[in-house]
Amino acid sequence: MDTLLTADLADAASSRRRQSSTYVDAIHELPEKASMAPAQLYSTESGRLFHSGRIVIATVGLPARGKTHTSVALARYLRWLGVKTHIFHLSDYRREYLGPNGAVPDDYFHVNASTSSVLLRNKILKKCREDMFRFLDHENGQIAIYDAVNPLSTGRRAFAKEFEKKGVHTLFVESVCTDERIIEENVRSVKISSPDYLGWSPEDAVQDYLKRINARIPHYETLEEPDLHYIKMINAGQRVIANQCSFNYLSQRIVFYLLNLHIKSRQTYFVRAGTTRDEDSYKADASLSVEGQDYARKMADTLLAHRESERQNLIKHGAPAGTALKPLTIWTSTRRRTVETSEYLASLGYRVRQRSQMSQLNPGVCEKMSERRIRLEYPDEVHKHEMDPYHHRYPRAESYHDLAVRLEPIILELEREQNDLLIIAHESVLRVLYGYLMACSATDIPFLSFPRDEIIEIIPASYNNQVKRITIPGVEGKMVPGSPEGISIPVPPSGFVSGAVSPMGGLGTPARGNSGTQTPESGGSGDVGGTGLLPIRLGNGGSVGSAAAGQQQQQGQSRQPEISVTEPKA
Amino acid sequence: MPSALPPSDTTNGADHTDGQDNGQTANGQYMPQLNRAPAGDFMRPAARSRVGSNSKTNGVGVQVEETRICVVMVGLPARGKSLIAQKVVRYLDWLSITAKCFNVGSYRRTGTPHPSASFFDFSNKEGERLRRAAAEAAVVDMCKWFRKPDNLIAILDATNSTKSRRRWIKERCDAEGIETLFVESKCDDEELIMANIKEVKTTSPDYVGQDPEEAAKDFRERIKMYERVYETLDEDETDLTYCKIIDVGSQVIINRIQDYLQSRVVYYLMNLHIKPRSIWISRHGESMYNLSGQIGGDADLSARGQQYAKLLPSLVSKSAGDRPLTVWTSTLKRTGQTARYLPYEKLSWKALDELDSGVCDSMTYAEIEEAYPQDFKARDEDKYNYRYLGGESYRDVVIRLEPIIMELERSENILIVTHQAVLRCIYAYFMGVSQEQSPWMEVPLHCLIKLTPRAYKTEEERFHADVPAVSTWREKGSKAEHSVPTPGQVSSPVLQGVEKESAQVTIS
Repeated sequence: MDTLLTADLADAASSRRRQSSTYVDAIHELPEKASMAPAQLYSTESGRLFHSGRIVIATVGLPARGKTHTSVALARYLRWLGVKTHIFHLSDYRREYLGPNGAVPDDYFHVNASTSSVLLRNKILKKCREDMFRFLDHENGQIAIYDAVNPLSTGRRAFAKEFEKKGVHTLFVESVCTDERIIEENVRSVKISSPDYLGWSPEDAVQDYLKRINARIPHYETLEEPDLHYIKMINAGQRVIANQCSFNYLSQRIVFYLLNLHIKSRQTYFVRAGTTRDEDSYKADASLSVEGQDYARKMADTLLAHRESERQNLIKHGAPAGTALKPLTIWTSTRRRTVETSEYLASLGYRVRQRSQMSQLNPGVCEKMSERRIRLEYPDEVHKHEMDPYHHRYPRAESYHDLAVRLEPIILELEREQNDLLIIAHESVLRVLYGYLMACSATDIPFLSFPRDEIIEIIPASYNNQVKRITIPGVEGKMVPGSPEGISIPVPPSGFVSGAVSPMGGLGTPARGNSGTQTPESGGSGDVGGTGLLPIRLGNGGSVGSAAAGQQQQQGQSRQPEISVTEPKA
Repeated sequence: MPSALPPSDTTNGADHTDGQDNGQTANGQYMPQLNRAPAGDFMRPAARSRVGSNSKTNGVGVQVEETRICVVMVGLPARGKSLIAQKVVRYLDWLSITAKCFNVGSYRRTGTPHPSASFFDFSNKEGERLRRAAAEAAVVDMCKWFRKPDNLIAILDATNSTKSRRRWIKERCDAEGIETLFVESKCDDEELIMANIKEVKTTSPDYVGQDPEEAAKDFRERIKMYERVYETLDEDETDLTYCKIIDVGSQVIINRIQDYLQSRVVYYLMNLHIKPRSIWISRHGESMYNLSGQIGGDADLSARGQQYAKLLPSLVSKSAGDRPLTVWTSTLKRTGQTARYLPYEKLSWKALDELDSGVCDSMTYAEIEEAYPQDFKARDEDKYNYRYLGGESYRDVVIRLEPIIMELERSENILIVTHQAVLRCIYAYFMGVSQEQSPWMEVPLHCLIKLTPRAYKTEEERFHADVPAVSTWREKGSKAEHSVPTPGQVSSPVLQGVEKESAQVTIS
């Protein structure tokens, strides 16, 4: 470790990291006390599901090969699985170090750079590694994703060795493109909007970018070290080579995940199931009420009308008149009310698939108990739950983490699916799936709210997904009695405005958003929906909430969820 | 209503739920049967929708086609191809994905039962002709088999060692609209190859009744014949979907994976290893609920259950010696209590929790029969698919156990302490027990089962602790009046025909 690193500097390093594009999962902000259900933190000692030790995933690849896309997707997946993961974009450190007006020396990216550039590089590298070690050693981090070029074999070996000394495995993930078109497209669509090119003309930016790439090319060595753990992805996953990757559970999972990753765009819609006839409970599996059936029909009509208008919109913008919609597939759980909600669409000929993994969170013994009674009978459980509502499991219940693990095959199919997808499920399931797609922190997932009078549409974009809300006319969200919420656990009401992360913040915004108007230093001054507890009511009520904007600002503030209110059975 | 609405006639209604019959009644009304789990929906690819595939939609955004995949094995003899093929079939069957292995060797054998190595000399015109005919016959049968809509994955088990042979198979499958996934097992480790020859090949039907030494020698000759013409999957074949496994997974090359099911198969293959190991499974010790005859719940162990927990370490060490072990339990108290004294690393998995009996949780079978007589009967008729109201079916349990199986394949020595239904499902995977049988299998309390996967079968041993316990086994059609404790009970009635070595070890 750096002897010059004073406590102040260390603190600053940490806060800088928090301000970086991929904000730290809010769960990390909790004080680390032993009383805090340590078994729920995932590390080797924890003896829980992910018994795989700590890993550094280091990307390898020339610029514009999709390293960041891969890092972001992996982080999304791992964090979603409950593994404490953080991305360290080396370029963020460079920008941070040089300041908003600092210029990158011309030879900064050269192998035979001048002494001063090498020094600068080393300083930046050192800061980044210090932060990684800090994350892995002192913040219970399990996976650090190191997003950098890592072009040289000797450098990679040294890197792996350095981490091996600390008992951290290194898994290299290389993106290789042999198809020039993929590279140029990537440069145009992604790279020149990065803060590095703030104020540049697009042409100049592309030129400069390609120049930077070219400066690297003579010194780039593809991964061939037989003794290193690596995954090599060629042309956006068309071919994948996994070398020595069976060293642990997560490494295999990562390979599997990467096999399913595709980059094509398709929409996902989330809706709730209709309301049920009888007073429902987790165990009793009631049918839809008349209102529920009415809802199912209105929801379907709204969705189809929306899709049709999207199609017309495409045609208006120059698509051929015969442009077809992407096929729509519907997934439901095996619960009666979700299946019956899909009935109308099924009768129209849409394909409905029931997935048993998508049944709601099991509320356990606390189902239908009043909050008062839960507090009385299970005071310890309530305390633990308040400390960690995502991982804590009431007696005989599932935690959100359990639910996420159960939904994992669904996530992979979701990544794989190329059709548009309508998911009809219980709110708890929607929370988890949404949490995955929007990279919500685990602490926020249990509090996400999905009103019944809205269809949530998720539109994927290169660095971050976006959300659109479509109101279902004729359904009054608040009037509609809810399906059982499971446990009446103390959670903030849906409208609660936390000072925490906006879940709209996509993980993947190393460039501080695709607007290109923010630098890491500005700490997310853009105020688009920095407040909402998700997918609902983004400040401006606009139809599209950009996932990019301003989510870090309040990160540092203490996070004290109001726990005195029972979630309304909306 | 938007104009883009698809026609509302439901002529293709049966397709809504993957052809399951839980969708339509006579009058065309959509009536899902929720107490029956739809079969085989788990890993089925949603549809084929890739650019360039021959996918069809009916013009209104509704997919109509299922993916069918032919897994084509590639590799020299003695590279574990048949082992892989068998495991994949067993895994898929367990997940209710109908799979079948077509072994070209067995087609060839009908004409040439005991060929000598010279038969496999590629300059032997007659041998070459016969081998080609065998491949042809296997492919024809496979295509015929695929015409049945439920049949999803076929495995063509042969060396398929030349590019021209592989191209021919691809073209045949393309013509039938069947996807191909080539799986090559490439291994240059002499030791591994020899071990494989010794363990497996000398028991091959080709060498029945021959001197093992001679057989091994002849077999090595045969391999040499193949080596002369063998072409590994390489750059010339980048248009193929393939997975090339080098030296038992130290490197894996995966090319053009097309859909989720393929990726799942590849993932499974990547998790396989051939290191010798065993898996021990035990139910929890007798619980208070076992005593009262209630199902489900989260009860503590009975006094006898605790006694079993105390005996378990010596029972395990008697069987496992000082091999390193990891213990997996469920998250319920009774398994944790049972594993309490085991001196190994322990992990608790939610997925190992007992089958959720929904509204029937904490009831006795007699109470269930009284409260839900119809359900009780329905469960007896199709226990595998019956889903408790608000709970789970065996099929659901299998789906949630799938990651456990994946992790078991990847791991070495594991001891699992879990529950009756879960244990039946895990056991069914390793022993290939059918869905009709597995839910009825008897797994006594206070008994440790050791499973040792071998090349062509899984060996089983049982160790009984001399601690009496109630029997929780309920015969089909009965109410499961609890039988008197019978120490050293006989093992499962469903295991007839499954080859096993039974050891009765009693510890007191």
